[in-house]
Amino acid sequence: MDAATRERLLGRLRAVVGDRYAFADPYEVRLYQYDASPETALPDVVVIPGTAAEVAQVVKICADAEVPITARSAASSLAGGTVPVQRGVVITFARMDRILEIDADNLRAVVEPGVVNLSLSQALRPHGYYYVPDPSSQGACTIGGNVGTNAGGPHTLLYGVTVNHVTGLELALASGELVQVGGRKAGSASGYDLTGLFVGSEGTMGIATKIWVKIQPLPPVQKTLMAVYPDVETASNAVSAIVRSGILPAAIEMMDKLSIQAIEAASHAGYPLDAGAVLLLEVDGIPELVEELGERMAKVCRESGASEVRVAKDEAERQALWKGRKGAFSAMGRLSPDFYVMDGVVPRTKLPETLAKIDAISARTGYKICNVFHAGDGNLHPLVLFDAFKPGQYEAVLRIGDEILKLCADAGGSVTGEHGIGLEKRENIRYIFSDDDLEVMDRIRHVFDPHGLMNPGKVFPGEVVEGSAPSRAPDHAPRRAANVAGGDEIWV
Amino acid sequence: MGLNARVAALPGHEITVEEQQPFRVDDLLPSRVVRPADAQDAARGLRLCDLAPTAVVIWGGGTQMRLGAAPRRYEVALSTERMSRLLEYEPADLTCRVEAGMRLRDLQEALLAQGQRLPLEPPHPDRATVGGMLAANANGLGRARYGTVRDWVIGIAVAYPSGKLARAGGKVVKNVAGYDLMKLHIGALGTLGVIAEVNFKVQTRPQVEATLIAHLDTPAAAVDTGTALARQYLAPAAAVVLDQSALKDCGMTADWRWTLALKFEGYAREVEAARDKATSLIRAAGGRVEGDDVPSRFWHAARDWSAPDGDLVVVRAIVPLTAIHAIFGVLPEDSQVMAQPAAGLVDVRVPAAFAASILRRLRTAGGDQGQVIVAAAPAAVKKELDVWGPPPPGFPIMRALKQALDPNGILNPGRFVGGI
Repeated sequence: MDAATRERLLGRLRAVVGDRYAFADPYEVRLYQYDASPETALPDVVVIPGTAAEVAQVVKICADAEVPITARSAASSLAGGTVPVQRGVVITFARMDRILEIDADNLRAVVEPGVVNLSLSQALRPHGYYYVPDPSSQGACTIGGNVGTNAGGPHTLLYGVTVNHVTGLELALASGELVQVGGRKAGSASGYDLTGLFVGSEGTMGIATKIWVKIQPLPPVQKTLMAVYPDVETASNAVSAIVRSGILPAAIEMMDKLSIQAIEAASHAGYPLDAGAVLLLEVDGIPELVEELGERMAKVCRESGASEVRVAKDEAERQALWKGRKGAFSAMGRLSPDFYVMDGVVPRTKLPETLAKIDAISARTGYKICNVFHAGDGNLHPLVLFDAFKPGQYEAVLRIGDEILKLCADAGGSVTGEHGIGLEKRENIRYIFSDDDLEVMDRIRHVFDPHGLMNPGKVFPGEVVEGSAPSRAPDHAPRRAANVAGGDEIWV
Repeated sequence: MGLNARVAALPGHEITVEEQQPFRVDDLLPSRVVRPADAQDAARGLRLCDLAPTAVVIWGGGTQMRLGAAPRRYEVALSTERMSRLLEYEPADLTCRVEAGMRLRDLQEALLAQGQRLPLEPPHPDRATVGGMLAANANGLGRARYGTVRDWVIGIAVAYPSGKLARAGGKVVKNVAGYDLMKLHIGALGTLGVIAEVNFKVQTRPQVEATLIAHLDTPAAAVDTGTALARQYLAPAAAVVLDQSALKDCGMTADWRWTLALKFEGYAREVEAARDKATSLIRAAGGRVEGDDVPSRFWHAARDWSAPDGDLVVVRAIVPLTAIHAIFGVLPEDSQVMAQPAAGLVDVRVPAAFAASILRRLRTAGGDQGQVIVAAAPAAVKKELDVWGPPPPGFPIMRALKQALDPNGILNPGRFVGGI
């Protein structure tokens, strides 16, 4: 975009949101060039609208000028979903962060997209309710971003992911219209389920400006157990044994030896350093039931090879165990200057063989690979450790990531469980979908976005990237520093 | 290609008058029937129909065929009856893949053998197929607790008029790759493609099950107790408010007017605590717990009540929980009602003569946050009714989606919202 065009666009956008909330200064827009993935690209203009009506007007102005639009909130996305690869305008939701309504009578909350996930649950707590999906980044990520990626989290094992908890959306469409789909009631009785279709479309169908979510009564008691295993294979088999036993845990998380070492160095969660793998398990319910389930689960863990089963005695211990897990990615800075995270999924029964294959890749290539993941769902997060400043390492790591996703796909799984396809996995999507599958999806995208302006260059393979090519290693330096300091910057 | 050649190229075969009857939709009969052997075969058949182009109505078990407006045209009946196989089932993964023509009961039996189930109970599982359940978004009485069809489908293969068979989702329980086309096809009444295969996640069967029947003096007290139960932690697996006649339809007679029937499922301790809690809520609402002595067919009859065989008219309101009172407020005194207060759903069987006026009143009472549709009605009555109500916001997108996937409008033409 040339300077004159940019100035004209900026003027029009400022007329909508005010001078303060639209800017194009190269220094100021730099902040908006990245998310939590290694990819970056500079936007031409950044806009911070204050209302849904302003979002719609911004979209209309961009559509009329044929300028690409990328919605961005906390930018904790791990697949480049909010990186504006075709430049244009980044719309961000820092000002649209209001909880509009807590409607406990109808078991709903109504929020703006910029509401931080955790702050919604905190606001609901005094009413006796919570919002279930809890990505590990929940202290920073927003409900709007969660809708974009159909975010998960440890507790989605029993209760479902974002799409299972969203009943309505107000959308700013590429045409500049605002339209409400779904709403306060449960489910749709007439018309296509556009709410369900939109969730997880990664900003390619429009922008959610208001979100109706289900809220759920808080469980009276939660019990968290840590089970220690000699290796990941025994721990993986234990996961299947627990599922077979008829117990329905609210969460089953696994961490391998390397992860445990990193986590212990960073947060002292209390995981044993000599363990080959640790399972974190949680059950919730009424006190007498949770007591019984806790004992049953501990028994299954021991019978399936756990050398030790520790039950969190109180809320402080429980929080410590979870803090370790949720801070796992940040903790990787203790082991390596950089890491590359995958988000593959395999059927639960394929966990042992998949982990063994990942281990073999690590041995063959010489790159260390940590595993911290949602074991109950079969949702793996292999973290490949590397140093971006060493020539060739980043490229090698990308190849390893590709190989890991291929083996997940070949095991009957998926190339992303909760992070999204974004920019990074566009080619990997071919491992699970044929050209025919993608052609149908592309037709649907064209219905919502006939001119290809809504977060272009994402989700679909083979897009031509215009504007600034994504830059990589040079921009790692500041983030690397944060990682080494054990900063809470990146989660999963 | 001339007309004769195009007809000759159509899949399936021409049928006799006797063969036509089972495929009647409202007042229309098809001239051909096609029974694809599998998903690819369905896609090939659909392509031929699209080339003609000729109107196709998709048939599963036929239990929801009275839902929707009468088709504008109807030449070919596409029956999924030969596509009835369980393709994959790995109990340890709690997932399965089935062909769309598989009957719900057959699927549940296969799951039961492994101590598992799909917690969806649409009406008439002995006839209803998996594909029909998706297309009609047919749910049972457990929707408030277990969610609806959209919460259990993890993958789908759909045959399109273009002749392509395209998949979305997959076989794993957590997956965000590509667009979630499962959501698009669930409840689309077969207007965007023929659902050919479905992947489900399933669950372990609950340890214990219990029923509680309570008598309440007013529908308001019954509804309030039902919603209060949904708002607290130990929600029942099903909570149904029935009037005297609906209760009789479910095999029970009673001298009281309103019944709250509760089903509890889960671990033994949980069920016991939930029942105690419900009992105290019912008593606080002035109700009387009538014990748990219910005929074994009670829950099955309640499940099937909203999809009756024959010429009954059923109107369904789906509203926010707090709007249920407004719905009850406009119902005639002697209405035949079955409501699921925790799901904001009210089903009413109405006399054909009053269907239009009751529908109007319910739509006003439901407000702009509610939807009221005709869930079943004979053809003659349907002609006088707006079965779907006004097209919802976002309708231009829905029409464009239809145009994108079925450009010649061959799939169930006219049966869906806004004439889609």
